[in-house]
Amino acid sequence: MKGTLAVARYTLLELSRRRLLLVFFIIGAVGIAVIGTAFKIAATVSPASISFGGPEGTFSPDQATLDRLTELQYVSQLIDVVGFFALLIAFAIGMTAIYHDLESGAAVGIFSKPVSRLAFTTGKVLAALVAMFVIVGVLSLETRLIATLFGGGLEGALWVETVAAVANASLLMLIVLALSAWMNNIIAAVVAFVYNAVAGFVVILHSVLVSGSLGDNALVKAGLDIAYWLVPHNLMSDAKRQLAQAEYDVFAKSIPQGQNGPTAADFLNNVPGASDLTDIIWWAFLVILMATLVYVAVRRRQV
Amino acid sequence: MAPVVSVEALRKRYRRRDPWAVDGVTFALEPGQAFGLLGPNGSGKTSVVKMIAGLLRPDGGAISLFGSKPGDPAARAQLGFAPEDPDFPKFLRAREVLDYFASLLGLDEDERKRRIPETLAFAGLDQEKRQVRQFSKGMKQRLGIAQAILGRPKLLILDEPTADLDPLGRRDVRALIESLKDSGVAVLLNSHLLSEVELVCDTVAILAKGHVLKEGTMAEVVPEGRTLEDVFVELVQASAPPKQDNLPSFITDKEDQ
Repeated sequence: MKGTLAVARYTLLELSRRRLLLVFFIIGAVGIAVIGTAFKIAATVSPASISFGGPEGTFSPDQATLDRLTELQYVSQLIDVVGFFALLIAFAIGMTAIYHDLESGAAVGIFSKPVSRLAFTTGKVLAALVAMFVIVGVLSLETRLIATLFGGGLEGALWVETVAAVANASLLMLIVLALSAWMNNIIAAVVAFVYNAVAGFVVILHSVLVSGSLGDNALVKAGLDIAYWLVPHNLMSDAKRQLAQAEYDVFAKSIPQGQNGPTAADFLNNVPGASDLTDIIWWAFLVILMATLVYVAVRRRQV
Repeated sequence: MAPVVSVEALRKRYRRRDPWAVDGVTFALEPGQAFGLLGPNGSGKTSVVKMIAGLLRPDGGAISLFGSKPGDPAARAQLGFAPEDPDFPKFLRAREVLDYFASLLGLDEDERKRRIPETLAFAGLDQEKRQVRQFSKGMKQRLGIAQAILGRPKLLILDEPTADLDPLGRRDVRALIESLKDSGVAVLLNSHLLSEVELVCDTVAILAKGHVLKEGTMAEVVPEGRTLEDVFVELVQASAPPKQDNLPSFITDKEDQ
């Protein structure tokens, strides 16, 4: 246990001094601030240009409605931005946390000490997860603070979505960690990137299949079902659905009396909801599997 | 007296189609003994010490480290290993590296506070504030020796410990080895510097192509009136095909006057 904590502590110290992580963090923090400020300025300087239109005529929203819509747009954009930076951080940590020790020769000194490979791997994975959670958490906190420019009320959606983004990025990070213990870290990152892209494509195709749009070919269905259970499924909170519901509420309130708009069900029909328990269990299984692969790679490694 | 480390018929090769890097090496080391492992480049010295330290898996033979297998962390707790061409987590400072390794050794905070400044002072790194990535090779070598002695080992393995050190550093390492021997620590020294080995080692083994060519006490290996270098060159040359004079022609050509 002491060995694990020592490895984790000094890995965190090293990660805190890595410029690549710092650069990603600064770009993320500045990007979030710029997006938030741009939305606020756009909403302040040109409110009159925004109007809702429909078959029964157009109408302009009041300032409170506009603020609310801007906030919803902002949070919607930021959810994607935080998820993107979580993936970048995952690559930056996954490519360096174990690989540099193994390749530089630092592992020779470490492994000659009375620390087991299991304790070393656990410490590395623990540090990588903590670093990921802290960095993405700080970016989310910044998002939340900037959202106060517009009001509030979506804190819950943002935090849960942050947890989902960290969960997805953590799995990708473990894949990169496992691969980089076997091969060059740049090749490991490329392989993980391609795998992640293919996984995303398979999940989208599978959702199209489930909706019935791909027809009824048994072979296609079987193939996609198998492929679907070979790849990670990105975890999702119900943030997107909450945002869509909030947008609908604002929209519904601003429709003048006597006019008819779409129903909430129409509005939410195509918005994905939170991941179900099966997806969470699948995620947990893959996390354990990847962490085990990291351990096996480190255990087999001769330095 | 039970040996600190014993290796028997040790074998290692890195790939199936490669020749054996270590082939049938056998020796034992007792407390307070300094053992010199000598050999030309690629003779298998580093592979032997890495197998003893549990960093490489042998393909054959047996190693007993304090009565256990090298993979046993409890056995490695009594081992200090200063690798050839050492490296460390590059964003840490010397003090942090030693604190990290002291934590892995299980030293408590009081002991760390006592040992780390003294070890840094011994290595001449007590005033050094830069991160390891900015260290010279010599500074890394001194840090490598510092981390090896931090746990007060009962077996100290030094793999080419003085290769990148200046004459003062070499003298310090010699004094360290003498002092450790006196206190009952066994020292296994890999070195190309035969004069140095002759000064500090009680027993030596000369390796070539993974085989032990000769082993024994210094008096057994080096006859009266000869030097260790004479014996080493003779044995190694006898074990290899005769070497042509391969100096490049542009070096040997006489310039036109």
